Amino acid sequence: MVWAALSGETADIAARDIARYAATSAVLALLVGTITAILGSIAAWLVVMHRFPGRDLFAWALALPLAAPAFALAYAYGDLFDVAGDLRMWMRPALGFDLPFEMRTLSGAAFVLSCAFYPYVYLAMRAAFLNQSVTALEAARTLGCTQRRAFVRAAMPLARPALAAGVALAVMETLADYGAVQFLAVQTLTTGVVRAWSVYASTASAAQLALPLLGAAVLLMWIERAARRGRAYESAGSKWRPLPVTPLPAAKAALACLFCFSLLFFGLLLPCGWLLWSSLAVSPDWIRLADAAGHSVSLALAGAVVTVALATALALGAARLPLAARLVSLGYATPGAVMAIGLLAPAAIIWRMTPGASGFAVGIGLLVYAYAARLMAAALEPVDAGLSKVTVRMAWASRTLGRGPAATAWKVQLPVARGTLLTAGLVVFIDVLKELPATLILRPFNFDTLAVIASNYALDERLPQAGWPSLLIVFLALPAVVWLSRKIAMSRPGTA
Amino acid sequence: MKTISIIAACTGLFMLAACGTGASDGNDTAAGAGEVNLYTARHYDSDQALYDRFTAETGIRINLIEGRPDELIARIRSEGERSPADLFLAADAGALWRAQQAGLFQPVQSEALNAAIPANLREPGGHWTGFMRRARIVAYDSQRVQPEEVDSYEKLASPRFRGKVCVRSSDSVYNLSLLGALIEAWGEERAEQWARGIVANMARPPEGGDRDQIRAVAAGVCEVAITNSYYYIRMANGDDAGDREITQRVRLAFPSLDGQGAHVNISGGGVLARAPNRDNAVRLLEFFASADSQRHISANNNEFPASPGVAAPEPVAAHADFTAHPMSVAAFAARQPQAQSIMSRVGWR
Repeated sequence: MVWAALSGETADIAARDIARYAATSAVLALLVGTITAILGSIAAWLVVMHRFPGRDLFAWALALPLAAPAFALAYAYGDLFDVAGDLRMWMRPALGFDLPFEMRTLSGAAFVLSCAFYPYVYLAMRAAFLNQSVTALEAARTLGCTQRRAFVRAAMPLARPALAAGVALAVMETLADYGAVQFLAVQTLTTGVVRAWSVYASTASAAQLALPLLGAAVLLMWIERAARRGRAYESAGSKWRPLPVTPLPAAKAALACLFCFSLLFFGLLLPCGWLLWSSLAVSPDWIRLADAAGHSVSLALAGAVVTVALATALALGAARLPLAARLVSLGYATPGAVMAIGLLAPAAIIWRMTPGASGFAVGIGLLVYAYAARLMAAALEPVDAGLSKVTVRMAWASRTLGRGPAATAWKVQLPVARGTLLTAGLVVFIDVLKELPATLILRPFNFDTLAVIASNYALDERLPQAGWPSLLIVFLALPAVVWLSRKIAMSRPGTA
Repeated sequence: MKTISIIAACTGLFMLAACGTGASDGNDTAAGAGEVNLYTARHYDSDQALYDRFTAETGIRINLIEGRPDELIARIRSEGERSPADLFLAADAGALWRAQQAGLFQPVQSEALNAAIPANLREPGGHWTGFMRRARIVAYDSQRVQPEEVDSYEKLASPRFRGKVCVRSSDSVYNLSLLGALIEAWGEERAEQWARGIVANMARPPEGGDRDQIRAVAAGVCEVAITNSYYYIRMANGDDAGDREITQRVRLAFPSLDGQGAHVNISGGGVLARAPNRDNAVRLLEFFASADSQRHISANNNEFPASPGVAAPEPVAAHADFTAHPMSVAAFAARQPQAQSIMSRVGWR
């Protein structure tokens, strides 16, 4: 891509436009990062450290919005709160006032994406709080901190690496998104990339616009790494006693309950409910949808296995090749549309080599490769964390007993990390179900996925029809999200 | 560990199955018998019925990849000499022109196409041809706007409509084609002035699709909206009672360009230069241009037939009595990059 940026004709895109796109992208990323950080942390702290009605339900249910693709949320909110939509058309004469906000704005997009991406922070923070040491909290309380101050002064700083990881994921997803912001009429750098590439047919300009996005990804990963550097000290004094759970008094319990419910409501129930309601008017082509659902699930399974296998190999080799592991993670923040363009280069080599190019096997192989490239960061994160539980001493013990590096990996490191491998697999599975740009451009003949069908309907401005495939994605991803969420709940040693 | 082995085993089986199917697919494509590989940027459910009919009539199986036009173009270029693509369809002349610029099409001389489709809707060299028409016109609030106030594109940019116009962003290829047509007719300077006038007249920053613009007129956000014809016709005859009610008040007007008629874009296609199934591709293109197919598409997707001899079926017929500008579609298609630059200069998001 860098090569492409430096060569070829450049498109006539005004510098002013590029600055505007870049500013929009930056503000959007900042807003989503801040909002998800606050919402996700508070939700995780409430659920882990307090007792209130519905806590056990919320503990895993708060992750559920992960099942809904961001573009589906955008369709739902864009339509529901449209100036000329049913809701506001009814409100104005009936209630005599209009809603003071617009979904199709920068702040609207920040709201929608925060609803979609807060679970990344929530899951990371919940895992961190569950695994935190009681000692630090007790020390804080002994020193006179209230529960809330203990949260601010002790728990949050200790959970900093998890916060950085969760927010980095949310921000990278934001930068990578195209479908949702496009639908909400927010023009980000990705818009510029697509414009340069399509209307002006200039790959060079597209690549130039894409470089800042890659730069942002590098920066995010650096911040995330830097934040994690303190981790080694923290686990030193871990004691696996049950966490001190505070029962909340009635009023506060109600507030906590309301807070958690509104996250779930705006992240999943309201948008999916609205999609369902508007989709009821049309009867979908169930055979085609079932076909597409089969394709989606098969691709997601294959993508999960291959990506996790590669991530494991990378994580094991990371000690020797730290740069490689960082580099492959870049795919995650690469905007989908840019990724699609970038993927065509390696795809071209394969297509040109194989007879009957775009044959089924080649197409599927390329897709799985694309998913691995795109989602490596999401898989590498948990795999890395899991493997790091195997201390150097454990590995050396195995080597002393006569096992080679490969046998050590197989017999010692992988079994210890198997839980996190499964976590990584689930994350990739869920993401592939929702994946759009790579699937659109690389899939073989007569092979639609649910996301592709939803996007095609939305492009044709047939939102009720787009609702069914979107809801099916949610339906298929839900079990995986529940599984993932429960795995984390049981991650505290001594609780299983 | 057990779970992982199960997933691994499933994936292995799936990949094996994939390879198995892949091998047979490859052979079929290589033989080139009874197949045609269609890359289409049109994705309408009703097109599937047409594909089925083509297969039933000719025995030729259609392999399909749907996608966005420029991604399909990029894919065909990447596939290079071994590209299986036979026919490329798009719902905008600009995309077809870009595919031609990339050297993807071969010229096709077909009696059937020449007879069915007027010359201005075909690329002069025969590289691509339209088979359906879509007009980019105006939906207006009949309670606040008189029809003669919107009978030309110029009037939309006049001070009469300051703060009263709803229109999509410049990401919309249909806007690019419309401005391209104005550049072709008026020259760049006057077209830029027009675009400046539209930006000054915008009731809100561009957002949403064409339907959203029409709904915004009904909601009182603006008085006129620039839209493609079929969106309006679809709303007027669709399942949604609210949309039908809207079209009682919001009417359709066909503004004229220099008194010669409304700007018309096409759905069309071209045969790829390296098409392995060239004859089948030509046959499929001719099939799309046949009177029956045009009627079918018109009835389902509400575009206008391209052939003057094919009467539009209901509900399109009620709106089909308009004059279309005779400009060659190839002429405005080539102006899209220029149009994008103008829109960028005048601040049309």
